[in-house]
Amino acid sequence: MPRRTLLAAGLLLSAGPLAAETWPIPEWSSQPAAVTPAVQSLDDYAFPVRDDISRAGVRSDALLVVKDGVIVHERYAAPTTAQTPHLAWSVSKSLFASVLGVAYGEGRFKLDDAVAKHYPPFAAHPEVKIGHLLNWASGLDWQEDYEYAPLKSSVVAMLYTRGRADMAAFTASHGAAAAPGTHFSYSSGDSNVLGASLKAMVGEPAHSHYPWTALFEPLGIGSAVWERDASGTFVASSYAYLTARDLARVGLLMQRDGRWGERQLLPASWVAFNRTPFANYRPDPQQPDDAVPGGQWWLNAQVADARRPWPDVPASAFAALGHWGQGLYVLPEQKLVVVRYADDRDGSYRHNELLKRVLAAYGEQP
Amino acid sequence: MIRRRPLLSVSLALLAGLILLAWSNRVHLAAFPGIIGAYSAKEYCSCRYVSGNPAEYCAGYVEQYLPLGALHDDAERKRVTAEGLGSRQTAAWLGERHGCQLQSQADPL
Repeated sequence: MPRRTLLAAGLLLSAGPLAAETWPIPEWSSQPAAVTPAVQSLDDYAFPVRDDISRAGVRSDALLVVKDGVIVHERYAAPTTAQTPHLAWSVSKSLFASVLGVAYGEGRFKLDDAVAKHYPPFAAHPEVKIGHLLNWASGLDWQEDYEYAPLKSSVVAMLYTRGRADMAAFTASHGAAAAPGTHFSYSSGDSNVLGASLKAMVGEPAHSHYPWTALFEPLGIGSAVWERDASGTFVASSYAYLTARDLARVGLLMQRDGRWGERQLLPASWVAFNRTPFANYRPDPQQPDDAVPGGQWWLNAQVADARRPWPDVPASAFAALGHWGQGLYVLPEQKLVVVRYADDRDGSYRHNELLKRVLAAYGEQP
Repeated sequence: MIRRRPLLSVSLALLAGLILLAWSNRVHLAAFPGIIGAYSAKEYCSCRYVSGNPAEYCAGYVEQYLPLGALHDDAERKRVTAEGLGSRQTAAWLGERHGCQLQSQADPL
């Protein structure tokens, strides 16, 4: 066989598995499904008649379902549209972990690096490692509650009053409540210390554009906004904004183990870390629906003798979750990515119920 | 004293308790009045100038149980000033990628 033919055959062979995949490169393809009763039931749950006076009940702003790289379901509630960069709230934490994943792949830090190596004010907490922050296990004495304890809420003080000028320094000023790495305690402060650590990891001026150059531009995300505090630290805990379609790109990246087209953007080992339950996590029997903390992502894992947090959803599902009902769900076995933006004010929304209906409508293998 | 003036004694004890409680929470209490203005200014600014939602929607979106004294949106400069519990706070839109940020000095209303 002439060499040229061999080469062509080789190219065809190597293109084989990729050619079968659909990617939103450059744009999403959209094939809305027929409105079956299961599809209707999903919309009925996500978009009941909206009460803007009492603000009660499930109040979705956007619902997007992607099946194996193709949009199969997309709906918005005014004023949110397909062009709205919606506030992600704490979904930002998981997005920032994906930004850090690129830095990790570039060899800029290790999980067992002391935080102080990258963020000097943590010299006050020399035993805290980057991996502890990623598991929300710094052990710092942090009060995350906001709506029920606004006076003493660390997160309210961080975002709006005493901590807002330098959120990581505010976090570092807290004392210790537990030994690092021994105890899960959800903390937006831990996430913002990761934000501040990125500065030294990649240096200026690269840092101020890093989320775009590292993650958003390679994924073709054009809508992303990421607000910073007055010290220039990205508010990794709370303040990323993306359209639903752009957020789904990060979901597809995660569904495909960090690969985007032919490029391994996040090391597969990084995604595996994101999806590994924090070893010392103990489920709270009073809160059986609480997802399990992984590496800045949330898992539907079965831990100890607790049931899966979302019983009607496969244990391999994982998610980025935020205040007032924001969610990016990834169901790798079913090749599903679900984005939900919302303005839920009363806590009646259930992840399990939405995903159960997504699975009924779109769950079977293609 | 306690037997002769039980009401006064209890009131004094309560007052002392309150003062102690306030003292132990003085850092939190001093910051508290700033929350409502800062929250409203920042989240209105982002709702309006980052997400691009209509002004009327954003005013409703930031509404809380505590009343807001004033909310001023300087649309030309994309600066939002809110006042609540006697504390005035300003958030400013800084640019396409960087959205809104609370300012160390509030604008005059």
